[in-house]
Amino acid sequence: MKTIEQFKFENKIAVEIREMDLFYGNFQALKKINMTIPENRITAMIGPSGCGKSTLLKSLNRMNDLVEGCRVEGVIQIGGQNIYDKAMNLSMLRKNVGMVFQRPNPFAMSVYDNIVYGPRTFGIKKKADLDEIVERSLKGAAMWEELKDRLNKSALGLSGGQQQRLCIARALAVEPQILLMDEPTSALDPISTGKIEELCTELKKDVTIVMVTHNMQQATRISDKTAFFLLGEMVEMGDTHKIFSMPENKKTEDYITGRFG
Amino acid sequence: MVKSENKSEKAAKIVFITAACFSIVAVFAIVLFIFASAFPALQEIGTFKFLFGSKWFPKQDEYGLLPMIVATLLVTVSALLIGGAFGIFTAIFVVYFCPKKLKGFFNQIIVLLAGIPSIIYGFFGMIVLSPALKSLFNAESGNGLLASALILGLMILPTVTSLTKNALESVPRSYSEGSLALGASREQTIFRIDLPAAKTGVLSALTLGAGRAIGETMAVLVVCGNSAAFPDGLFSPIRPLTVNIVNEMGYAMGLHRQALFATGLVLLVFIFLLNGFLAFIKREKKEKDEANRTLVGGGAGEYIYKVRGMGSKILSVVSCLIAAVVVLVLGILIGYILVNGLPEISLDFLFGKPTYKTPTLLGAFVSTGWIILLSLLIAIPLGVGAAIFLVEYTKPGSKLVKVIRVFIDTLSGIPSIVFGLFGMIAFCAGGKSLFAGALTLSLMILPTVIRSVEESLLAVQNSVREGSLALGATKVRTIFKVVLPSALSGVVTAIILSVGRIVSESAALIFTAGSLPMVPSSPLDSGSTFAVLMYNFTAENPNMEAAYATATVLLMLVFLVNLAAYFCEKKWKKNK
Ligand SMILES: Nc1ncnc2c1ncn2[C@@H]1O[C@H](COP(=O)(O)OP(=O)(O)OP(=O)(O)O)[C@@H](O)[C@H]1O
Ligand SMILES: [Mg+2]
Repeated sequence: MKTIEQFKFENKIAVEIREMDLFYGNFQALKKINMTIPENRITAMIGPSGCGKSTLLKSLNRMNDLVEGCRVEGVIQIGGQNIYDKAMNLSMLRKNVGMVFQRPNPFAMSVYDNIVYGPRTFGIKKKADLDEIVERSLKGAAMWEELKDRLNKSALGLSGGQQQRLCIARALAVEPQILLMDEPTSALDPISTGKIEELCTELKKDVTIVMVTHNMQQATRISDKTAFFLLGEMVEMGDTHKIFSMPENKKTEDYITGRFG
Repeated sequence: MVKSENKSEKAAKIVFITAACFSIVAVFAIVLFIFASAFPALQEIGTFKFLFGSKWFPKQDEYGLLPMIVATLLVTVSALLIGGAFGIFTAIFVVYFCPKKLKGFFNQIIVLLAGIPSIIYGFFGMIVLSPALKSLFNAESGNGLLASALILGLMILPTVTSLTKNALESVPRSYSEGSLALGASREQTIFRIDLPAAKTGVLSALTLGAGRAIGETMAVLVVCGNSAAFPDGLFSPIRPLTVNIVNEMGYAMGLHRQALFATGLVLLVFIFLLNGFLAFIKREKKEKDEANRTLVGGGAGEYIYKVRGMGSKILSVVSCLIAAVVVLVLGILIGYILVNGLPEISLDFLFGKPTYKTPTLLGAFVSTGWIILLSLLIAIPLGVGAAIFLVEYTKPGSKLVKVIRVFIDTLSGIPSIVFGLFGMIAFCAGGKSLFAGALTLSLMILPTVIRSVEESLLAVQNSVREGSLALGATKVRTIFKVVLPSALSGVVTAIILSVGRIVSESAALIFTAGSLPMVPSSPLDSGSTFAVLMYNFTAENPNMEAAYATATVLLMLVFLVNLAAYFCEKKWKKNK
């Protein structure tokens, strides 16, 4: 048994991406990406469909490894470690860099088992510990009051919004340092969306959030930094209020003013 | 805290690969063992003389297999004509003419027909069909070529029907719409468009049916007349290759025994030839599929223009009649056995202490239980492991997967009598035992297990796998904690199907587990299942009362298995 370490962030930098290219077979989906993602902030990624937002997000916890023929060049550093290094431990990476998907994907188990699935994966067995984790995670996801009486019910019986928040709680249960969210609200109703946005603002005290969103108002509502992508390139990144009020690049301006995309 | 995951990940992958490659090993082992045991005979007798000699007199060391080869081919072709025609028409009926409400019923009929043990078909042939043929045709005996062909035809009918049904159901709507839009009638469309479009499916159905017919032992054993002479009429007694083995293996020694193994080898060659043919037509289909799409649609218009007669109408009436006949035959089979068998069942016969003179079923309860338990214990982990490898660890189109698939298919096509021969040399060094029988049967059920687990693994959504992986769970943990539990239905289906197969099996057990009605005291003792006892009561030591009663019990078991399968399917369909 060895302990899973955490990444050590320096200078408030969580992720550094340098000259990164990504290929699906012969198709280059990301071109020369350079980005710095700050710690304890919400970074939004926006851009038209197919520009590579999900692709970039998935390369931050190497979910891209599952895609046949996907190749990454360049450097992605988290806490100073190159995550595409041979020595990188995938379990360690994904435990610390959690992910919430576009569509809620609860496991066919009880609410309780969904949440403790991750902790159990990493060898936490004591009932008392697990109970505590469940409470902490559900509180973290602001649904403890809602769910504390139905912990043993199947997670599949929850509403879509509840399922998505449960998936967030499930991700929080292993105490990730970074949380990747790929359009986490696009399959949800406005009320659930509001709850999740509120949740994210709460969460950034403890976690660094990177969120892909199609919804520019959402980006302005919750994010601190925004990066704009187009055709596999990062066009511009900066403070959200600045990007949306006075973008430097013409293409960004066109996009945020709704002229195209 | 984590264990060093990488090593256990690799170890698990190796375990899964091993499980998947087990089918390859099994097929090679079977071929090698049978070949090794047959080789001395081929050498001593001479392969040519063995294959083309026309006299089989073991006592005088004369071993000519030709009459048996001819008998096998002849009976297979006739069974195909009968069972094939009936099967195809039944499928047409179920797909196109069956009222919606009756569809479920007919599907169950087909499943039931497929589930009835071959020894029961044989018994039915002996007590109902043969006497009927005898009086109908005023023949000396009802047994022989015709009776064998009819029984085999009935046996392969469910195979042909269900595969043809699948093929017809997957014909694209656009085909028949094109035809209907031209003004063709529904009947014309079915026979001129849909059926030709499903040609490859029908052809593979027939090929698989032929494989079943060639390899079938128990159903023909008691109705074939059993004479190693060339057949010269519908009622002339014949002896197919399988019957040659099962009849003489019990007492054969030395060269005689080797000659029987050589008979098994010939059987294997036939099966492999059919497999090759099947692979060939499937490949042809893939290549032609695209081209055909337009051809079928285009050609159809002209065709229909000319043919506007009564032909198709008549064919559709025929398909309804044939479906009715199939139901009738199944009804007679079940009715006749139950009516005669139920009164013979007594507590004493079921659970009494057996002696040679008054056999009981107590031993069969114990033996069947043991064999089911042991075979499942072996085949389920192996099959699940193999399915996991095939679904979770390979890319679509991988060469290794293709090879493994070929061997799994090959394994599933090997006749049970050949499994019996293999088990006899591979597992019976210490004599026949339930354990040896279970080892043999676990090989037989392995392909079924792999297939049904594979199907349900494929049905698990990828987002669920990603959800677990994204939490940092390893692949193995993801598979066991998240994917497999979601695929539980496949494992349960595999178990039910396997139990059905094990309960029905007799040919593979006679030489590996034994055929006496005694009560085994441990899995290392010999013992016989219900189906094997049924063989004992019809062929080895004829005992009509016991045979009827055992047949009734067997049928009940088959009903139970089918019922279980039916309810599981229903339950899981609802949950989805
Ligand atoms: N597995 C894959 N194989 C090949 N190409 C892919 C794969 N996944 C994505 N792509 C391609 O890479 C490009 C970027 O896709 P990606 O899903 O990252 O876009 P996105 O910005 O997330 O779009 P959306 O807003 O629609 O989700 C697209 O052109 C897409 O077709
Ligand atoms: Mg996307």
